[in-house]
Amino acid sequence: MDFVDFLVRRSDDMLELGLGHAGVVGLSVLLATVLGVSLGVASYQRERAREAVLAVTGAFLTIPSFALFILLLGPLGLGTAPVVVALTMYGLMPVVRNTITGLREVDPAVVESAQGMGLSRRQRLLRIELPLAWPVIITGVRVSTLVLLGIAAIGAIVNGPGYGELIFTGLARVGTPVAVDLVLAGTLGVIVLAVLFDLLFYAVRRLTTSEGIR
Amino acid sequence: MSAPTSDDTTTQPAVTEEYHAGHRRSLAGYLVMPGVLALACLVLYVYVSQQELDSIEARSLNAATLTGALWEHVQLTAVSTVLTLLIAVPLGIVFTRPFTRPIRSYLITLLTLGQAVPTIAVLVLLAVVFLFLGFWAAIVGLVLYAIIPVLLNTMVGLEQVDKAVLEAGRGMGMARFTVLRRLELPLAVPVILAGVRTALVINVGTATLVTYINAGGLGDVIVAGLSTNRVTIQIVGAALTAVLALLIDYLAGIAEDLLRPRGL
Repeated sequence: MDFVDFLVRRSDDMLELGLGHAGVVGLSVLLATVLGVSLGVASYQRERAREAVLAVTGAFLTIPSFALFILLLGPLGLGTAPVVVALTMYGLMPVVRNTITGLREVDPAVVESAQGMGLSRRQRLLRIELPLAWPVIITGVRVSTLVLLGIAAIGAIVNGPGYGELIFTGLARVGTPVAVDLVLAGTLGVIVLAVLFDLLFYAVRRLTTSEGIR
Repeated sequence: MSAPTSDDTTTQPAVTEEYHAGHRRSLAGYLVMPGVLALACLVLYVYVSQQELDSIEARSLNAATLTGALWEHVQLTAVSTVLTLLIAVPLGIVFTRPFTRPIRSYLITLLTLGQAVPTIAVLVLLAVVFLFLGFWAAIVGLVLYAIIPVLLNTMVGLEQVDKAVLEAGRGMGMARFTVLRRLELPLAVPVILAGVRTALVINVGTATLVTYINAGGLGDVIVAGLSTNRVTIQIVGAALTAVLALLIDYLAGIAEDLLRPRGL
């Protein structure tokens, strides 16, 4: 198999690009989760705020990635920065949406009894509401991660790190035998990362879901 | 691959539904987006018209070139979305019939993971493996990519229909096909419509990339700006793409509100 040979010969590249790809996606997911959960917590109780936050983050997701990378090129230059900013913007909406849904699904009776036990607003949120909503929130994070893994490949247009480089190099050599190998290797790399991230989620979800609702 | 849990399949649907249902906008809410988009276009127009364009910029930034690219983009989006729906909705119906139950949760996990395949990879693979370029290659790539979310949405929509309603239908003497046509499909319409909107948004975005396989669209403008190093052209191309995508999403949202069956 020529393709397997190719992968073995380029295994250093594959690993390095994979780490770059995973790094840029991991960082963006982290930022999107922190921002998204905060936005969700800040807005879930008021309908107006909820709708505004969902509309704006939804609009981010609607902007084609190629266009957004180019628009960020002016203020942020080439490299990792525009990719991380764009990916974070794309990752927000599933996290915010699931945070809001998760928090709203918490049984009001549970919150009320927590209040009756003398827990402050902050304690209720951190000890009762967020842990109960967590499985829904982390599902949103998972959706974000899968979407971002795919979009990150387009980041190669602005010299972002990751497997997109192989795909675009392959495109530039269309018609030569190595082109197919390059593009397949890039695609395979992203799929492998998707499976790995998914396994990671499965583990994280198990470990971070509080025992009572597992 | 993680074993699909029943949890995975139940939380996601509930979430999609919550966001799209119960979403009634006020008149002012309907006017915000067109206002923002019109303002963006105006700012763009003023910005460009105040610049002294050199000959390379003038070649890309004129009404004929831009409307041509825009029209190609709209055609790509429309054709690919129609084909996506014609394939994905019937497939969704087939996959939710009882005989697929044993494999359904694996199928859903597989489809979810499939969404991570980069759009650009699908398009470029068509080009480098089959040397398949141009409009129809782009359509094939767009449809292949957009099928997954619409299929997932259709399946989720059909599955969340209350089983008691279907049983009542059967009890009234309806044939299975009648139950599907008169009860299941109408009740699943909101979720399927959400899938249509998703397909439109994905296709309008991916269509920006088909310039790399010689299929035109607004991506042509951006790439012309990139290859000649003209920032103004890049910005115009990117901004027009963003405006078009947001406009299409906005119109699809209105269609979603209007087409939802009464009583839901």
